[in-house]
Amino acid sequence: MKRLKFSKEKCIGCQLCAQACSATHDGVFMPSRARIGIESYYDRGGVLKYKDAYCNLCGICFKNCPTGAITMTDKILVDHPTCIGCGTCAAKCPRKVVKIIDKKSYICDTCDGDPMCVKVCPQGALQFV
Amino acid sequence: MLGYQNNVLRVDLSRKECKAEPLNMNWAEKYIGSKGLAIKYLYEELKPGIDPLSSENKLIFMNGPMTGTTVPCSGKLAIAGKSPATGTICDCSIGGHSALNIKYAGYDAIILEGALDKPGYLLIENDKVSFEDASSLWGKGSHDAETALIEQYGHDYSVLSIGPAGETLCTMACINSDYYRQAGRGGMGAVMGSKNLKAIVVRGTGGVKIPNIVEATKRIAEIERENTLLEDNTFVFDFGTTAFLEACQDGGILPKNNFSDATDIDWTKYNGDVLLEHLQGKRGCGSCGLGCGNFLKIGDVVCEGPEYESIAVAGPNAGNSDPVAIVKANQVADNMGLDTISAGDTIIWAMEMTERGVHDFGIRFGEMDKYIEYLELMARKEGVGAELCLGVKKLAKKYGGEDYALEVKGLEYPQYEPRGSWGMSLAYAVSDRGACHMRAYAPNEEVFAASIPPYTAEGKGEMVFRLGQSNAVKFSLCICDFWATLDYEIMAELMTLVTGREWTADDMADVGTRVLNIARAFNQREGFSAKDDTIPRRIVNEALSTGAAAGQKIPMEAFEDMKQQYYAVLGWNADGTLPESLLATL
Amino acid sequence: MKITITLRGTLVKYFNGKRDRQIEVPEGSSAEDALLAAGIDWKAIDSFGFVAINGKRVMITDTLNDGDELKAYSKISGG
Repeated sequence: MKRLKFSKEKCIGCQLCAQACSATHDGVFMPSRARIGIESYYDRGGVLKYKDAYCNLCGICFKNCPTGAITMTDKILVDHPTCIGCGTCAAKCPRKVVKIIDKKSYICDTCDGDPMCVKVCPQGALQFV
Repeated sequence: MLGYQNNVLRVDLSRKECKAEPLNMNWAEKYIGSKGLAIKYLYEELKPGIDPLSSENKLIFMNGPMTGTTVPCSGKLAIAGKSPATGTICDCSIGGHSALNIKYAGYDAIILEGALDKPGYLLIENDKVSFEDASSLWGKGSHDAETALIEQYGHDYSVLSIGPAGETLCTMACINSDYYRQAGRGGMGAVMGSKNLKAIVVRGTGGVKIPNIVEATKRIAEIERENTLLEDNTFVFDFGTTAFLEACQDGGILPKNNFSDATDIDWTKYNGDVLLEHLQGKRGCGSCGLGCGNFLKIGDVVCEGPEYESIAVAGPNAGNSDPVAIVKANQVADNMGLDTISAGDTIIWAMEMTERGVHDFGIRFGEMDKYIEYLELMARKEGVGAELCLGVKKLAKKYGGEDYALEVKGLEYPQYEPRGSWGMSLAYAVSDRGACHMRAYAPNEEVFAASIPPYTAEGKGEMVFRLGQSNAVKFSLCICDFWATLDYEIMAELMTLVTGREWTADDMADVGTRVLNIARAFNQREGFSAKDDTIPRRIVNEALSTGAAAGQKIPMEAFEDMKQQYYAVLGWNADGTLPESLLATL
Repeated sequence: MKITITLRGTLVKYFNGKRDRQIEVPEGSSAEDALLAAGIDWKAIDSFGFVAINGKRVMITDTLNDGDELKAYSKISGG
C-alpha cells in the first residue's frame, strides 16, 4: 500500500501542498481547511523546525470512529451523512491532520491514489511510495 | 476579476480606526497589484512635497491576485511609500509568509495612514483588527520582538516588524518578516517607525477563489514542472544567492575595498562552498517553487542568508575575508532592522575616508569587530553611528569624499560593479528608488551570458528598458524574480487562469511600461529629472585594476548616451521627464 | 595544446558529476571549439551561462592558450 512520505531536507516550507489540497477538494485555496498541513518555521529565530502534519494512513482514526463513518482500504474515506462530528478522529490523530469543519470530518483521501500535494511539491519533499 | 479579495484595509493610526473598502478595480486592470498598484495608489493619494517621515506619508502593504494560490513564487509582498532616504517613490518586495496571511485574512492591501501617539502594534486576525500596546517591545531588536510576539500569539501568525533603526527613524531602516526576510531599501522601516508602529501581527484563515479551480490548479502544476523547475531557476535551491559570488569574481564585477577594484583574490575563503558547509536547512516563501533561503549556523551565529549583497558588502568590499564576520554582520543588521547594503556601503566609505586621512571615523578596511559594532550604533543613532546613519551622500557633502561615495539619489550602490557591466550604471541611474539592482538586472545579459559585450554603451538603453519592464510587471503580479524564465506568455496565461479575465503577452508588456512610467511620474512631481540620474565619480574617473574588466571605466559621454537611449525608448523628453501626453495615460 | 575545462553549477552533469576534465585541442582553438571537443554544444544547452579563461570572463569566441583553465557556468539570474 502506498503512503505519503516526507523528507524534511527537501522541504522549503512553501505550503503548496495545503493550497493544492484545498483547491482540489474544497474549491478554494485555503490551507486552514486542507487535509495536509506541513509547515516550517524558525523557533525563536534560531532553529529551523518542521510541522509534519500529513496523513500516513496509520488508521487510528478509522479504528476509533464510533459510527463507522470512516472506512479504510488503500485510502481513508469519510461518509459525511454518517459522520456525527464527534471529533474523536481529530483528537486521536497522531499528526493532528484531521479537520472538523461544520461538524463533519475531513481526512486525506490520497486524491484517489494520485495525490495533488505530491504533484505540486517543488523539491520532492513529499512522495507517494 | 477573481483572485483578488476586492478588499483593502485602510487604517487611520491617528484615530485608531480602520475600515474595509473595495479595491479600485479600474486601477487594478491597469497596474494589476503589488508594486504597480501600490505606486498608483500613492501617486493618487499623496500630495507632492510631503515629508516622508511625517504623518502625511502612507505605507502600503500590497499583495497581488496570485497571492495565496499555487502559482509558484507568488508569495512576495510589496511594501511601498515615499522614501525618507531619497524623496522618491520606494517599493520593496518582501518574502516570507506575511503576504499569504494578509491575503487569507481577506485583504489585497493594508494602507497605513497617520501615526499612533505612542508605540503600538496592529493585530489582525481575519476581520478582527485591534491596536495593541508595544511599550514593552519598543527598543527591542526586530528578532527579539518577533520572538516575543510569536510566543504570545503562535507561529501561525506572521510578524512584520522594525528594529531599533526604524524606531530612531534611520533612513536605512528596513521592515522584517519571518526573522530573515526584509523590505530592505529606501527606509521603509523609518516610515513605519515614524508612525510609532513596531509591528503588524497577522493571521488569515480564509481562502482565495479562482475560476475552474480544479482544472486551473492542474495546469498551474504543469507550468511549475515545465518552467519554474528548470535548472535556470533551481540553482537557487542548490546554492542560493551564493552562486553569484564566483560568477561575479570571474566576471570581474565583485566589488573590493569600497568599489576601488572588482575582484578579490581571497574569494574562496567565504564563497558558497564555505558557507554551505554550515547549512542547517532550506526555506522559501509562501507558495515558493524554488527555496532560495539557506539557514546557516556558524559557531553560535545563525542566519537565513547571507545573500550575495550582504556577503559582498561585508566581505571583499569591506576588505574582509572572514566568513564568520560576514554572517555575524548579517545577523546583527537583521536584528537591528538595518539595510545591509546601505549600512554596509556607508561603513566601508568611512573605512576609506579614515585610511585616506580625509576624516577619521575610527575604522579601517578589514576591521570587522568595529563594522559589527557600528551597525548597532547606526541603528540606535549613538556615538559615531549618529553620523554614519546619514548615508554616504549626506556625509560626503559634509566631510568630502564624494570621489568615492557611490550612490544615486541618496540610495547607496548595490554590489555589482558597473565598470564591468556598463548597462548596470544606467540601471542604477534610472531606477525609480535610487541605485537599485532589482529593477534592471544588467549582469544577466552583459556578464553571465556567453556573447554580449559589457564594455560598451551600444544597445544598453533598450536592454535596461526591456529588463526593467519585465521586472516591473513581474513585481506587480507579484512573482519573485528568481523565477527567471517567467516570460510574458506565461504571465498572461497565469493572469487569465487566476482572474478569469483575458490577458495577453502584450498586456503584460504594457503593464510593465505603465509601471515604469507611473513611478517616474511620481518622482517627476517631486522634482526629479535627468540631472538626478547620475553616475558616481569613481566609476567615471577611476579604471579597475584587476579582473575581466581591468582597465575599464565608463566615460561620461557613454553614460549620457545610454541615458538618452533609455529616455527615447520610453518616449520621455530629453530631460528625463514624461511628456503631458504620456502622463495623461497613467 | 592542453586545456582544463571546469564546469560550474548545473553544467556539472555534462561531465557525469566530475567538475573538471583535461583535453587536447588544436592551437588557436576558441572557448567554443574546446567545449565542443569535450562534448558540450553551448548553443544547444538552454541553461548555458558564460565562460571564463583563467578566472576572467571572456566571449565564447575568444581564443585559448596552452595550459589555460576554461570555466563554463550555467545560467544564473536574479538580484
